[in-house]
Amino acid sequence: MLPLIQVFKTTIREYAAYRLNFILWRLRMFLNLLFNFFLWSAVFDTRSTFGPFPKHAMISYILYANLISTFVLGSRTAEIGAYINDGTIINLILKPVSFFKYYFARDIADKVMNIVFALLELAIVIWLFNATLVLPQNIMLFALFFINGILISFFINLMLSFIGFWTPEIWAPRFLFIMLVFFISGSYFPLNLLPPPVYHALLVTPFPYLFFLPSLTLIGQIDGAVILFQLFFSYFWVVILYHLALYMWKTGNKNFSFWGR
Amino acid sequence: MNGLKKNIRIFYLLSLNALKITFQARIGGIFFLIGKIIRVFFIFLFLSLIFSRTRIIKGYTFDQILLFYLTFNIIDTLSQILYREVYRFRPLVVSGGLDMVLLKPFHPFVRVLLGGIDYLDIVLIVPYILLTLGIYIKMGSFHWGNIILYVALLGNSMIVVTAFHIIVLAFGIMTTEVDHTIMIYRDLISMGRFPLEIYKEPIRAVFTFIIPIGVMMNVPAQALLGTLSWRGVFSAFLISLGMLYISLIFWKYALKKYQSWGG
Repeated sequence: MLPLIQVFKTTIREYAAYRLNFILWRLRMFLNLLFNFFLWSAVFDTRSTFGPFPKHAMISYILYANLISTFVLGSRTAEIGAYINDGTIINLILKPVSFFKYYFARDIADKVMNIVFALLELAIVIWLFNATLVLPQNIMLFALFFINGILISFFINLMLSFIGFWTPEIWAPRFLFIMLVFFISGSYFPLNLLPPPVYHALLVTPFPYLFFLPSLTLIGQIDGAVILFQLFFSYFWVVILYHLALYMWKTGNKNFSFWGR
Repeated sequence: MNGLKKNIRIFYLLSLNALKITFQARIGGIFFLIGKIIRVFFIFLFLSLIFSRTRIIKGYTFDQILLFYLTFNIIDTLSQILYREVYRFRPLVVSGGLDMVLLKPFHPFVRVLLGGIDYLDIVLIVPYILLTLGIYIKMGSFHWGNIILYVALLGNSMIVVTAFHIIVLAFGIMTTEVDHTIMIYRDLISMGRFPLEIYKEPIRAVFTFIIPIGVMMNVPAQALLGTLSWRGVFSAFLISLGMLYISLIFWKYALKKYQSWGG
């Protein structure tokens, strides 16, 4: 545990060393939050509800989803692909720490740094534009979905980087994944606004479990009749994706070769 | 004149090299293309979802909002086709490679601004233009005057886009920070995907008077819809030329401060 705490601390220090980078990154995220917030505020100019969502519930969803996605999607694993391509990965493999745990510790540091700033951004939006939030509800259920969301995101991100074992073109699949995540994970709108067949089809994919269901749970809009089904699927994806990531890691290590260093 | 001919010839050679590079990373290119198509498709879907339950947003109909969004896409895609090389500027600065560019007997913008045409985005620009025309014709308010003004204002937007890219290059020389700056520029212009009326003050004032996102992204679509005054047209041209002038001054200032990194 002690080495992982050190990894966590070192990652935080890395951010402190590259402050400008991090601040510019957060500025980008803040702009995205503003766009979504204002778009939905404009929609509610002429109406008080949208589908099952009153204005304050929709705005709360958008703001909570932004906050939760910051934590769930925050990751340092994107660098692994480049490390595999240039051979640097060998330094990490040789370390007497589990590779998965090492990167999970780095990811948690990334998430902590991001969430601190995201909270500040949320406070700015609430203060500057008088946004009213629904108080967080169903905290226990939220915690279950939230932890699963973090793990699902971690394993998918690892797999996207492990592609580097087989090809140097690692950024394009990640770009495709990011595009998918933005739209079918519910960052622009709650997925239950979609036509029911599309919504139900999405629920069997891992995407809604990243931050849509945690956010919906937090604003008290989750459908009680299907909670067990949704919980089952979130655990299902954690287990499946963990084994897939492990399989890719082991197979990749066997195939892996590099020059120099 | 000879200088212009030489610059065009070098631009042609660099573009030829960029084409070869595109063919070398075919699979990656296809993935990026699919990602971009997915993004546009989902925004269409998102707007359809909103307009399936409401008729207007801030006085704009579904078709009108689509015109704004497509205009944004045309300008953004054109800028990516032409100025992709800006995204690769940082390694040139930190490695000291920029020295070699500045020493060469042609304008550095040919290399650092226009030197890496993005051919993949050319595939996207055609459907954007066709869709814009299709929606405009469908709206039933076809007017040649508006179309000519629209094209002229698209050109004007490209002047602002050029100015922004030059500022990013100059900022890169002074701080070695390019990657996030260019992405912040992308995020800022993305705020102009839809009419600026959706934003409240002071955000709207910032995007109108301080960072001319409105001039860049909204004004051409307003001209097409026939809602732009002549005063608005002249202001747009004036702002864009002012921006270009400021960007060139900033570029010259950055070059004076350049000390050559790495090497």
